[in-house]
Amino acid sequence: MENLGALAILLALCLSAYAVAASITGRMRQKPLLVLSGQRAVYAIWFLLTIASGILVYSLIAGDFRLAYVAKHSNRAMPLVYKFASWWGGMEGSLLLWAWLLSGYSAILVFTNRNKFRDMMPYVTAILMAVQAFFLVLIAFPENPFQVLAVGRGITEVPDGNGLNPLLQYWTMAAHPPMLYLGYVGFTVPFAFAMGSLITRQPGDAWIHTTRRWTLITWMFQGTGILLGAGWAYSVLGWGGYWGWDPVENASLLPWITATAFLHSVMMQEKKGMMKVWNMVLISATFFLCIFGTFLTRSGIVGSVHAFAQSPIGKYFIAFLAIGIAATVYLILDRLEYLKSESQLESVVSRESSFLFNNLILLASCFAVLWGTIFPVISEAVTGEKISVDAPFYNRVNVPIGLFLLFLTGVGPLIAWRRSSLDSLKRSFAIPSLLGLGVIAVLLAAGVRHFYGLVSLGLCMFVTSTIVIEFWKGSRAIARKTGQNLVAAMVELTHRNTRRYGGYVVHMGMVLLFLGFTGAAFNKDATHDVKIGDKFQIGRYDLKIRNLLDGDNDNYAWRRAIVDVFAGGSQLGTLEPEQRLYKVSNQPISVVSIRRRLNEDLYLNFAGTTNDGRNMAIIQSFVFPLVSWIWVGFYVTLFGTFICLVPPKVKMQYMRTETVGYVQKHAPVIE
Amino acid sequence: MLLAAAALLIVGAVVFTLGVREKDLPAPVPVSPFQHLDDRKAQIYENLRDLQFEFRVGKLSDEDYQKTKLELQRELANVLAEIDAVKGEATPPPAAAVAEKTRKQKASNVCPHCGAGFERALKFCGECGKPMPGDAA
Amino acid sequence: MRLSLNKLLLLVLAAGLCLAQSSSQMLTPAVKRVGDRLACLCGACNNSVATCPMLGCHYSLPARERIAKMEAEGVSDDAIIADFVKREGLRALVAPPAEGFNLLSWVMPFVALALGLGVIVLYVRRFRKPAIPDAPVDNAALDRYHEEIEKDLAKLE
Repeated sequence: MENLGALAILLALCLSAYAVAASITGRMRQKPLLVLSGQRAVYAIWFLLTIASGILVYSLIAGDFRLAYVAKHSNRAMPLVYKFASWWGGMEGSLLLWAWLLSGYSAILVFTNRNKFRDMMPYVTAILMAVQAFFLVLIAFPENPFQVLAVGRGITEVPDGNGLNPLLQYWTMAAHPPMLYLGYVGFTVPFAFAMGSLITRQPGDAWIHTTRRWTLITWMFQGTGILLGAGWAYSVLGWGGYWGWDPVENASLLPWITATAFLHSVMMQEKKGMMKVWNMVLISATFFLCIFGTFLTRSGIVGSVHAFAQSPIGKYFIAFLAIGIAATVYLILDRLEYLKSESQLESVVSRESSFLFNNLILLASCFAVLWGTIFPVISEAVTGEKISVDAPFYNRVNVPIGLFLLFLTGVGPLIAWRRSSLDSLKRSFAIPSLLGLGVIAVLLAAGVRHFYGLVSLGLCMFVTSTIVIEFWKGSRAIARKTGQNLVAAMVELTHRNTRRYGGYVVHMGMVLLFLGFTGAAFNKDATHDVKIGDKFQIGRYDLKIRNLLDGDNDNYAWRRAIVDVFAGGSQLGTLEPEQRLYKVSNQPISVVSIRRRLNEDLYLNFAGTTNDGRNMAIIQSFVFPLVSWIWVGFYVTLFGTFICLVPPKVKMQYMRTETVGYVQKHAPVIE
Repeated sequence: MLLAAAALLIVGAVVFTLGVREKDLPAPVPVSPFQHLDDRKAQIYENLRDLQFEFRVGKLSDEDYQKTKLELQRELANVLAEIDAVKGEATPPPAAAVAEKTRKQKASNVCPHCGAGFERALKFCGECGKPMPGDAA
Repeated sequence: MRLSLNKLLLLVLAAGLCLAQSSSQMLTPAVKRVGDRLACLCGACNNSVATCPMLGCHYSLPARERIAKMEAEGVSDDAIIADFVKREGLRALVAPPAEGFNLLSWVMPFVALALGLGVIVLYVRRFRKPAIPDAPVDNAALDRYHEEIEKDLAKLE
């Protein structure tokens, strides 16, 4: 079995190398059959990797403990879903998942574009397959998932495996890595198109139109992956943190930020044919940051809680990044003429310049995060001394940048394209500014003194009101014209320009995310040693320990507290924090109990047992104001992204130029 | 058994990949040489529509609106002119026009990729669709 | 037999979890003030000594005790920090010190921001449309296509 899997990977590697060669040669020598054969190779690679993945998953589920990977990441007692999730629980398997996803994406792409872009597609295929070949080299040689346990020349078997890290045995963890990989891998596609279009000097922005939805969906996957990770950290790690500025978290954030910048600045190219070079740079940066993120996770170059073990594959990544970046920079510099801007900036006060600022701020925050992530490595190399770059650094640098970004979210969309007079801006901003300042005044009066908290909440109000006013003004204009009611008019308005109004909904989601982040400024926590019958207080809650239980099953032993929650004399419910000790890995983990409400979460963690002979339970209690808005904001963002994906309702009969006579005379030939 | 499966895998992959025949080639789909110009045109109309709407909801002053509208219409006219120029290349122009054309033709009006000449400087060649150097005016 | 196995496991559970002596985490405001400036070096978190939430953390708890003890002896905040740096090196600090080479960590993000701003200014200068009106050629084209455009515009909504 495992031999078959390893063979499939090797075969896929050969085919990907062949696909690169065939596509490029076929395109240059004008041999359409060779190009077609290269495309066939793409499908074949997907099939082969599906077989390899299937074999690995089967071995994990069936418990074939002759395989090193299975022995390390699966065990007999684990529930089926986590056995399946062990596919991406370790380095080798996750690289295989990566390669499999890329092959799937490539197959879809080649199939849907098989008749289009005859000029550029061979290059797109070649670039995709070059990336594919790189990952296949990794899993064919240094990180082969089908390595068997062996003593001398004999294959050995262990009776049971280590099992997936119990911290990862949680539903969002089963979904978080594949989502993130769908994002990471997906950015390869717009990158390949951008490069293909650059190599062949395509007229127009075909690559942008073709990959627009693709980029958006990928962006959404990446965001979902990040948020699932945050949700996992919040509900599993036991201290209510959702973001720790860990190098690997940072690595997933970086391409998401540059992709956000790309999604914005690409509008400049579509509307006015400007910023072509910049968009190339952004999409390339996004792709290389994805690779860089994988490199950070896999090479163990920076210490991190989720990095996989130290591995020799770092140098492969460095070589790939160096070659890839050099080639991209060369291509862009060589074709600057082709990327010349088609129009100019009419006025400094315009949507265009607000996009410039948006890009600047996004990139600055991206750089700050990147810099903080790699600075310990740089500093150690230069000064020879280890230093720490922890959460306080990132917060101090990124909070002001983030708040400015939030401000721009409100300002940008209100400025018209090309030019806007200051008078009309004053009119647009009067109400939102007043409302924002009003919120700050009320909070000040209520005794809130946290500076960033105040600014953030004021800005949230400011941006929300600009968005609401945009929807209201637009719907009113349509309602007046068509006589529909306001709700129907709003639907009509959104349907007419889904990208813009979907974008506003995404902005609204971001505001809610910021609202949730701001809550962290007002967190409360307390830790108590308790026995049955004890009472304690946190925030407005009175907590009473009703019972302490313990027990045991195949997978783990557990201890649980039953805690009644009261507020203002009435009982609100019961929370049951629990602690488990996994038998195979001998690792204790907490299963926290959370009372989630929109205003605040009450969060209890059964943290341990005192060893001073009293055998009391240690309960950590937290109150996290507003944190639920992070998840609400995420769903709003998701909804907004879906709106953006709906094709807009436009009637443009005049769009196509009549080509009948022309095309017949100039029958297209394959170059 | 295992050997047979392995052999099947190898042979299958090779045959599938290399076994391409003439009849597997997709039928050529006509590519409009106006594609990028049409896209551009649609975009400008879209911009105009947007502008009109933003003006209607009061985001723009009257002066700004008029200015921007005129600009967009000018850009549109340029694109239409370019389309006509490409079309003009498609149908053989009358003899007088040909003479006129050769007289007018400058180096920058000749496509460096396929050698086709045009009456005026174009951003993209009407024959092969590749960008032309133009006189960058 | 089954029962005793359970007991054994619970014993292991208790032993594994009970590293914390008690819930008093020594986190007085004074300790918090100093602990906020020191990194937790337990290797599993990115927090400060004051904010590490891990019970039984083998680094932050002893560190808090030490801070409390030194404070009781009347040692100043800066001296406590200096003592930690002497023992652990610069990595004991929560963020790089703003001096020497490590100053770069703080400066670079803002240098990048400033550079970006400079690029934007250059870009705006370069691509800013000159105030002079467009060439008359454009207008001629507009005149030629005016009717067609107006017709299409009428169809717009």
